[in-house]
Amino acid sequence: MTGRKRTSLLKGGAAFAALSLSLAGLTAPVAAEPSPEVQQKLDALSAEETAFISDPANLVRFGLTTEKLHKLIAAKDAEAAKAMVAAMMAAVEEAKFQPGEAETPEGDELNPIGDMSEVPLNPLAPGFNGSTVLRPAILDDRQRDPGPFSLKRYMYETDGIPTFAGAPVAIRKEDLIAGGIEAAFVGVPLGMSSGWRDSKNAPGVMRAMYGIGGYDIYAGVDPTLELSIADYGNLSIDPMSLETSVDHIRMMIGEMVDAGVVPIVVGGDHSVMFPTVAAMADQFGAGNVGVVHFDAHYNGARDLAHFYSDEQSVSRLLEEGLVEGKNLIQVGVRGPEITEEALQWMRDQGVRYHTMAEIEKAGWGRVVKDAVKEAKSGGKKVFISFDISVLDPAYASGAGRPAPGGLTMREAVPLVRRLCAETDVVGFEMLDVSPYLDLSYATALNANYIMHSCLTGLAMKKKGVKSADYISDLTSSDD
Amino acid sequence: MGHSRYHLAAMLAAVAVSSYAVAEEPTKPGEVPKNIDAFTPGLMPVEPLEIPEDVMKLLEFLPAEKVEFLKSGESRVAVRPDAMYEKIKAAASQEQIEAYVDAIISVYDEVQFQEGRDADSIPLNTDSPTFNDWKLLRPRELDPDREPGPIDLSRYVGGRGGSFSTFAGAPVAFTPEDLKAGEVDVAILGAPLDMGSGWRDARHGPTAMRVLRHGTGGADVSTLVNPGAVLNIVDYGNAAIDQFSTERSVQEVRRLVREIAETGAIPIIIGGDHSLEYPNVAAMADVYGKGKVGVVHFDSHLDTGRGRVHLLDHGQPIYRVMKEAHVRPEDYIQVGLRAHYSKDYYEWQRLIGMRYHTMAEVERRGWDAVLERVLKEARENTEYLYISFDVDVLDPAMEPGTGTPVSGGLTMREAIPIIRRLCSESNVVGFDIVELAPALDPTYVSTLNGNSLLFACLTGIAMRKEGLTDPNYFSPLSSEHGQDNYYGDKK
Repeated sequence: MTGRKRTSLLKGGAAFAALSLSLAGLTAPVAAEPSPEVQQKLDALSAEETAFISDPANLVRFGLTTEKLHKLIAAKDAEAAKAMVAAMMAAVEEAKFQPGEAETPEGDELNPIGDMSEVPLNPLAPGFNGSTVLRPAILDDRQRDPGPFSLKRYMYETDGIPTFAGAPVAIRKEDLIAGGIEAAFVGVPLGMSSGWRDSKNAPGVMRAMYGIGGYDIYAGVDPTLELSIADYGNLSIDPMSLETSVDHIRMMIGEMVDAGVVPIVVGGDHSVMFPTVAAMADQFGAGNVGVVHFDAHYNGARDLAHFYSDEQSVSRLLEEGLVEGKNLIQVGVRGPEITEEALQWMRDQGVRYHTMAEIEKAGWGRVVKDAVKEAKSGGKKVFISFDISVLDPAYASGAGRPAPGGLTMREAVPLVRRLCAETDVVGFEMLDVSPYLDLSYATALNANYIMHSCLTGLAMKKKGVKSADYISDLTSSDD
Repeated sequence: MGHSRYHLAAMLAAVAVSSYAVAEEPTKPGEVPKNIDAFTPGLMPVEPLEIPEDVMKLLEFLPAEKVEFLKSGESRVAVRPDAMYEKIKAAASQEQIEAYVDAIISVYDEVQFQEGRDADSIPLNTDSPTFNDWKLLRPRELDPDREPGPIDLSRYVGGRGGSFSTFAGAPVAFTPEDLKAGEVDVAILGAPLDMGSGWRDARHGPTAMRVLRHGTGGADVSTLVNPGAVLNIVDYGNAAIDQFSTERSVQEVRRLVREIAETGAIPIIIGGDHSLEYPNVAAMADVYGKGKVGVVHFDSHLDTGRGRVHLLDHGQPIYRVMKEAHVRPEDYIQVGLRAHYSKDYYEWQRLIGMRYHTMAEVERRGWDAVLERVLKEARENTEYLYISFDVDVLDPAMEPGTGTPVSGGLTMREAIPIIRRLCSESNVVGFDIVELAPALDPTYVSTLNGNSLLFACLTGIAMRKEGLTDPNYFSPLSSEHGQDNYYGDKK
C-alpha cells in the first residue's frame, strides 16, 4: 500500500511536466499539422479523398474539424482511416436525390422505388380545392348589406364571442370596403413549424385574450377609437401541407391590401412570412417593400428538399426577388441554427441584420436608432414581421422556437410603436405564438400588446404626429 | 382523427346501403376488399337529386345542361338541396334563378381538381444537395469499432441505462446485427412524426417516455413477471422523420420496423401520430405476408378516413392499410371508438366486414363482455397480431396529453389488463403507442400512463416467453393474501 503510494508520488513530477506541456499546446493556435503517424495515413488517401477532406464544408457536415478528423484517423489503421473517408464521401452522395431504377407500380405511391421526387396528392378527392373556395354572397342563406358587423349584444360588452380587440367582423372584401376599414386582423393558423407546433391555436387563444385597444399611455391615443378596425376571421389552411396553403394566403392578404386595409396577420408560424410579404410585393411591386423582421431566427436556410418552411421564408423572398436584401432589417437574431456561412450569405445579400450580439455590443438605443433609420430610408412601404421568439422566453414561453437572451417587452413595444408611427407601414404580422406551451396567459397577452403598439403607431400617424420618438406630454409629465 | 376537412365528403357520402349490410363473403388474404371504395368520396357514385316538380317548372327556362347539372346531385358541393329549392322558389325573377345556379356551378368547378389549373402533387427540390439529410445514416466508421450487440450505457454494475434516458432503461441498439447478436426479443423504436390534425406535439412522445422512465421497470403485480428480467429489450433509437411530409417519413419508418421484425424481434413503436399505423402494419405484412396479420386498433377515432386530398394523414391509416391489402377488414378490430363520426362510416365498416367496438357497445354490454369478445376475435383468424394503441382511447382524465382528446374513454384499469392479456394470450408481433403529446399535459401523468401501457405489453410478451398463456392468468401469490379461503377457491 505505502509502496504503491510512494511510486505514484515519485511519478508526480513527470506527470506535472506532461500537464504543463499539454497546457502549452492549448494556448498555441490550433494547428492542423498532423502527427507523422496521421500524415502517413493521410498520404495513403487518393487525390479525390484528400480533396474531400480538405474542404472544411464537407467536414462540417459530419460535425468535424481538421483537428477532430486527425484524432479519428489516429485511432484507426491506414485501411480503416481510408474506409472512413470513403464512407463520408458516400454519405454526401446518398444525401442527394436518388431516382428509382424502375417505375413505381400504381397503388404503391407511398412506397415508391427510389426517392419520392414529389409528394403525390389525390386528384379524385371531390373536395380537392374545397377548403379554399370562397362562398359567393348569392349562395348565403340570408342576404345582408356589405359592411363589418358587431358580434356584441351589449353596447359595452367585454366578453361574449371573442374577436380581436372586440372588433366587428368582416368576412368578405366587400365588407372591408363598405366599412372603410383601415386595419383588419386576420388569423392564419398554419402550424407546421420546425419547432414546437402549436401556433395554429394562436388566433383562437389571442382573440379570447385582452390587451389590444384602449388608451395608450405612451402616445396618448386610443387606437381602437381612432381607427376603423375589423376582425377578418381566419384564412383556410391545409394542416398537412404548406405548399397547398401559400397561394391562398398570398391571394387573400393581397385582397385585403387592395381593399385599402393594413392587414394585422396572426400566425401560424414563420412560414406565413413568405405569402404575406409576397402579397405586399404583388400589390406594391417587387422591391418596393422593406421588411422589419423581429426574430430569434434568421430563416434564411437554402437548398432544402422542401420549397417552403418557417426556416426558408427569408431566403425565398430574397431569391425570388420579392424583397431586396438591403430592404430587409432583422432585429434580435440569436438562434443556434445560424452559421458563419449563413451570416456571410446575408451580408452578401445586403441584409441589415442586428443580432443580439450587436445589441450587447452597441446598446439597444443605438440599434433602435439604426433600425428606424433603415426602415425610413428609400421611401419604401414597410412590412413588420414579428416572431414572438424575439422576446425573451420570460415574456413569451409560448413560442414554437424559443431562444434565451431575447428582448424585453419594454424594448420591443417602443420600437414597434415607433416603426408603425414613423414609417409607411402597410402590414404587420405576429407569428409563432404557441399558446399551449405557456401555462399562463402571459404570451398571448404580450403578443396582443405588441399588436396594440402597432395599432397605436398607426393611430398616431393618422392624428398627424410627425416628431420622431413621440411621447405624449400629458401622460409623461405633470407640468 | 378522422373528420374530413371537407364537409362535402360527408355530404356526398349519403348513398345506397340503407339496411346496414354486412360483408357477403370474407376478403381473401392479399385481396383488396370488394367494397373498399363503396363509400370513398370521389370514387363512389354521387346520388342524383330528385328535384320537386314545382322547382323543376321554375327551371324550365334554363339551358338543358344547367338543369342536368342540378339533377346530377353535384350541386351538394355548394349548397344543401332543400335550401337550394327554397332559394329557387323565393327568387324574384328568372335572372335571379340563373345567377344563383351559375354561382353553384362555378363553385363546383372551382372545388374540383382541374388538370392544368391544379397540381396533383407537391414538388420537392430534387436538386437539393441535402435532399436526404433527414434520413442520412451516420457512417459507422466515424465511431470506434465495436462488436455487434446492444450497448449498455450504464457505468455501474447496477445498470438500467445509467444516466442516459432510454426506453425502459434498456441498452441501445442501432442495427439488425446488434439485434441478432443480442438475441433481442423486443426493440423499442421512437417515431416522432408530428403532422396530426389536432393539437400537435406528438414528436415529443418518444423523448418524454424515455426521460420519465417511471412505470417501465420491476415486476407486474398481477402476474409477478418482471419483463426486464425475462426479455432482452433494447432502445432502437428513433426513426428519421421529415417533419414536413408524412408521405416521405412513413417509408423510413416502414423500413426500420421491417428491419426489426426480420430479425425475429418484436418492434414496439412509440409515436408520433397515428399515421404511423400505416407503415407499421405494412411492415408486418412485408415480413409475415399480406392478410396474415390481424390488428387491434385502440382509439377514440375510427381512422378509416378516405378520399381526401392527401393520401395519408392520422385519420386515414386503416383505409390505406386495407386498400393495399395488408390486412383484411375481417381482421381489423377497433376498440373504444366514440369521436363524432357520421353514420355512413359505420355503414361502410360493417359492409366491408370490420370488427368495431364503440363505447356505445361498452355502455350497452359492459366492459368485461367487450374485453372477452376482443380477445376472442384477436385470436380467431390470424396467426399474428399487431396492436396499435392511440392514447386518446383513454379518457382525457387519464391522458390530457394528446392531440385530439375525446371525453368518455377508457380508464387505465381497463386498458392495462386488455393490453397485458392481448400481449400474453395472442401471438403479438408488433405494438405501437401513438399520439402522446406531452406539452399538452403540464404534469407527468400522460407520459407515465404511456410508459405503463408499454410495461403492460412487455409483461404480456414476457409471460408468453415464460409459457404463462392461460386466459386471464394471475399470480396466486400476489392476487390474494391466502391466509384463509375467503373466496372459496383455494386448493
